[in-house]
Amino acid sequence: MPGFSVNRLIFRSIISCLFVFAFTFFAFAANLPEDAPILISQPDSTRALTAGKTRKGLDYSLNVFPAEGKTRITLFVTNIELLKNEGANAFRVDAQDSRYFRYPMRVISLEPLADRPWVYALTVQLHGQMGNVGDVLIRANWRGVASNRVRVSIGYQGGKISDDEGSVPTPMPEKPVVKEQTANLVGLPWTGDRVRFMQQATFGANAALESRLRRITYSTWLNEQMEEKRDANGAIRYSTFPYPVLTLQPTSPATNCGVTCLRDNYSMYPLQNWFFREALYGEDQQLRRRVSWALSQIWVVSGRETIQPSRMLPYLKILDRNAFGNYRDLMREMTLNPAMGNYLDMAISTRQSPNENYAREILQLFSVGLYQLNQDGTVKTDAQGNPFPTYDQNVVNGFTKVFTGWSFCETTAACPNRTVNAVNFIDDLLLNPNNHDTTEKQLLNYPGAVSTIPAGLSGDEDLDRALDNIFYHPNVAPFVSKILIQQLVTSNPTPAYVGRVSAVFNNNGNNVRGDLKAVIRAILLDPEARGNLKTDPDYGHLREPVLLVSNILRPNDATSNANAAGNCNNQSDGVLNGATSALDQDVFNPPSVFNYYPLTYVLQNTDLHAPEFGIFSTGTALKRPNFINQMVFGTGIERSANSPCGTKINITRWQNLAASDATGAGLVDGLNRELLHNSMSPQVRTHIMQAVQAVAPTNTLKRAQTAIYLVTTAPQFQIQR
Amino acid sequence: MKESRREFIGKSCRALTMTALASQMSHFGLVSALAQKKAEADNGASDYKALVCVFLNGGNDSNNMVVPKHSAGYAEYNAARGPQGLAIPLANLLSVTPPSLGLEFGLHPSLTEMQQLWNQNKFAVVCNVGTLVQPITKAQYLSGAPRPEQLFSHSDQVAQFRTAISNSNNSTTGWGGRLADRTTPLNSGGAIPMVTSIAGVTVFSNGATTSPLIVEPSPTPLNQVLTLNGFGTTSDELARKTAMQKIRNEDLDKTLVQKAAFLTQQAVNVSEQLNGDPALTVTFPNTTLGNQLRQVAKLMKFRTQLNMSRQIFFVQLPGFDTHVSQIPGQGALLTQFSQAMKAFYDETVAQGISGSVTTFTMSDFSRTLNPAGALTNVGSDHAWAGHHFVMGDAVAGGNFYGRPTANGSIFPTLVNNGPDDVSTRGRFVPTVSVEMYAATLARWFGLNDAEMSLVFPFINNFPTSNLGFMM
Repeated sequence: MPGFSVNRLIFRSIISCLFVFAFTFFAFAANLPEDAPILISQPDSTRALTAGKTRKGLDYSLNVFPAEGKTRITLFVTNIELLKNEGANAFRVDAQDSRYFRYPMRVISLEPLADRPWVYALTVQLHGQMGNVGDVLIRANWRGVASNRVRVSIGYQGGKISDDEGSVPTPMPEKPVVKEQTANLVGLPWTGDRVRFMQQATFGANAALESRLRRITYSTWLNEQMEEKRDANGAIRYSTFPYPVLTLQPTSPATNCGVTCLRDNYSMYPLQNWFFREALYGEDQQLRRRVSWALSQIWVVSGRETIQPSRMLPYLKILDRNAFGNYRDLMREMTLNPAMGNYLDMAISTRQSPNENYAREILQLFSVGLYQLNQDGTVKTDAQGNPFPTYDQNVVNGFTKVFTGWSFCETTAACPNRTVNAVNFIDDLLLNPNNHDTTEKQLLNYPGAVSTIPAGLSGDEDLDRALDNIFYHPNVAPFVSKILIQQLVTSNPTPAYVGRVSAVFNNNGNNVRGDLKAVIRAILLDPEARGNLKTDPDYGHLREPVLLVSNILRPNDATSNANAAGNCNNQSDGVLNGATSALDQDVFNPPSVFNYYPLTYVLQNTDLHAPEFGIFSTGTALKRPNFINQMVFGTGIERSANSPCGTKINITRWQNLAASDATGAGLVDGLNRELLHNSMSPQVRTHIMQAVQAVAPTNTLKRAQTAIYLVTTAPQFQIQR
Repeated sequence: MKESRREFIGKSCRALTMTALASQMSHFGLVSALAQKKAEADNGASDYKALVCVFLNGGNDSNNMVVPKHSAGYAEYNAARGPQGLAIPLANLLSVTPPSLGLEFGLHPSLTEMQQLWNQNKFAVVCNVGTLVQPITKAQYLSGAPRPEQLFSHSDQVAQFRTAISNSNNSTTGWGGRLADRTTPLNSGGAIPMVTSIAGVTVFSNGATTSPLIVEPSPTPLNQVLTLNGFGTTSDELARKTAMQKIRNEDLDKTLVQKAAFLTQQAVNVSEQLNGDPALTVTFPNTTLGNQLRQVAKLMKFRTQLNMSRQIFFVQLPGFDTHVSQIPGQGALLTQFSQAMKAFYDETVAQGISGSVTTFTMSDFSRTLNPAGALTNVGSDHAWAGHHFVMGDAVAGGNFYGRPTANGSIFPTLVNNGPDDVSTRGRFVPTVSVEMYAATLARWFGLNDAEMSLVFPFINNFPTSNLGFMM
């Protein structure tokens, strides 16, 4: 056990002050969720038990650390049960000074103590710009749950920072913390975890799904969502509602094509309406729809250039079909899809006039990204901290050659869906060997790669070799896994979480790489995604406009508007793109190949990713509450020429809660449970209660409206945590 | 180097609420000698300056925007582009003759209004501008000298133009925002943020303390760009409004919640200020860029009421990624550009601020001299250095500016694999860095030399921070 001798030394030195408090250990944890990591403090204060490096080894008595970027501090953490391969990269540690500046700290190592394996030494490095700030409060976040905060001095002891309310000493425990199962059992209705699961895996919680999940568990539901569904004719179906029937049109609309004709044949309108109906009511395809929607934000094709919905539909079908398929198949189908070929110019790239566009974007955006990654998604760097590019211009040139010679399928023999007077956007691109560059090609170079294609192979062979070369690049797993986690769960997953999902991407357990079923399952069932309450301050992600709208409509039983025709079937017509495009998310019309918002967007003055904030600004901030006002206090989306059924919500359920409890508590707590998965802070609850109580108790409608408005407009609801 | 640029997480609780900005600024060392300068210069309404960035998104092919018309230059150009049909016929080019070169050049035929402004010395061309980490020659490039991260990639080159930091793409602040951070004292008492984007969220507008205003373009009236609907004056509505306000101040230890709350609060604050929709003198074209610049002009007209003496605007015209069909595509975009720029200039004249407003272009990169495709489909691919326009009465207009290229003149040699081409397809190595270009504008705006390197961390890698195009 040579590796633990240092730890033993620490432990022996401090053992004298421990036993007195050993029996009081469990009391302090009362303020924290039962699954929260606990940072160990001095026996009689919230000052951290720490160790620092000196020339003689570790010194546990250190409590004032020099304010230098190189300073390392060893803290002690308990109440964690690690998975295999879960280590330092599963933790995020930060320190807050008395001015409320919060500094991320690099996590260096995590090692169990030899004598007390239930306690871990957690070593972190100070942020280079911290300065002599005096006392700071340090917190460790693990799987989205924050620890208690303990005090450490940087530069000098003192400074005005008070302990967190209710915090108590958390001395070194003599034995492992015994988990007491509290009220959060799986079988209870509307647990925080189950509501959050619905928000991650579907377009919003609703009562029917809640009770179903309670009965059959997540795993069974995931199987059910992923299994094949068939339509009345026995054909596999990838949507609940049939795809709109669309016909390829001439590139230029006929002169007699009026407003309605243009809307239905030359805009994304039919697909947008179908999409929102799927989101609202497509119960047996909710997960596929979420994943397909997420993939559409990686493999971006925009209706702004595709124009015709009939041209866009085959692209959307590829996403749907492969949402639970294999990433390699998705790569090939996308590469040969005419809408993609048109959008990124592969369809006009020839040996004689090559075009780099698709080559560059498939590498940068759809597969490997710009920099070499570790399997946990962090960027590999050299000793100076510089990243290693994944490829250079020679590689772009090589892939450009690979993708030459493919164009729209316009021969009678090979193209069953060829349409007279229209470009064939249905059949795969077709190779014209005369236009394909058959010279040698440089591909991605990495250990084990076949990094060149010799001259003289066919266009088909070139394509397969090149896509394999990309697919087997070690970046693909962390690159794709991280984006999918960000889309479904949280903008800033710990490296450990990314690493767990990457491992599944690399091997689903049956030696299959790129199995999206397994990847999605791993993402949604990961401990960092699960749990009743997430207290890590950096957890979660901003609800993009589509999710904001659907996460409000689904729990509130969206229906057609008043006096809608019988064929509306009491359902919304899905004409909701007006709401999301006002929030800068014009569905299927992203402004560029960089999506509605850049997936790499970093929040100002932080090192945090926050992709959806790329379209959240002063300009759109008030349009969110304005949409909610329209749905909650207004008449919803009225019927009109473009919206035959309209959309409104039904809040009778909430009115009943308001009627049954004149204090308003039942109403507010119900909303907290079903919309905020019990994450509402007592302060927010107080403010909402005051506003509810300002309405006469007999006016249950207005009470319900007031509470729903305040919950759904709250910044705490804009962020899905 | 890397560490020094990485801003720590400065947020949480009260740290970013409006009232606490002052203490935060001192933390960043932002309160500076400029405060005194402001006191000296603060002699009335005359002290107004605005910078307007027009971003030509997608990578504008400036090889077809500014073309040599003199015989030797045009011959090279036509040899490189003519056979595939990407060369503009000599007769169609709009003649301009910069004294600095003493040779005839031509503007793209769509730039008729810009030619008029040229003839009045109201705009200048800055040649061969691009992202750089240090001055570099073709030979140095080919032997591996330091160069910007991810050349030829849209997202990265866009970011580098906007951040003026080219050896990394991690900066969360842009040079517009950092310039605003440092010149805030020149704008004391301003009622709205100094930086306004009419084109959505962009890193250009973010500073360490500057959080930009983002509004939508015309035709939305200025007093309707930010409104919160659904509140009257009944007691329960007021109670709801109060609650909403209080909720925005809770849970601010949650990073993303805090950011959403902050931006919402900022929108509410500004919406109270933007209570009018000033009428303009000039009729703007009803186009993407026309409507954005129209909104800029309205905010400028509102400047006195808002007590603004320094403003930075960001507008954007997308569509320049002309891999295909460039002849009609770029032509239409430049027509739109030219018309909108002229209308905007004329409106600043009508407002009496044409000497206080400087409008300039940026773009991802220029495009390969060597065409992509041919004939009706002909376009061009991603390249590097390009030419940019700067407009206003404070500009020493009617001239070309720049630094010597390999041929000794400030205009590159238009030859594939020529002395300025780092590839074989006409990707020219820049001689003017983004920093040099931007710093020249920033100095005019009021940034002092001592703080130049705080806004442009790598400016000292370059020979000058003043290219001389501002009077």
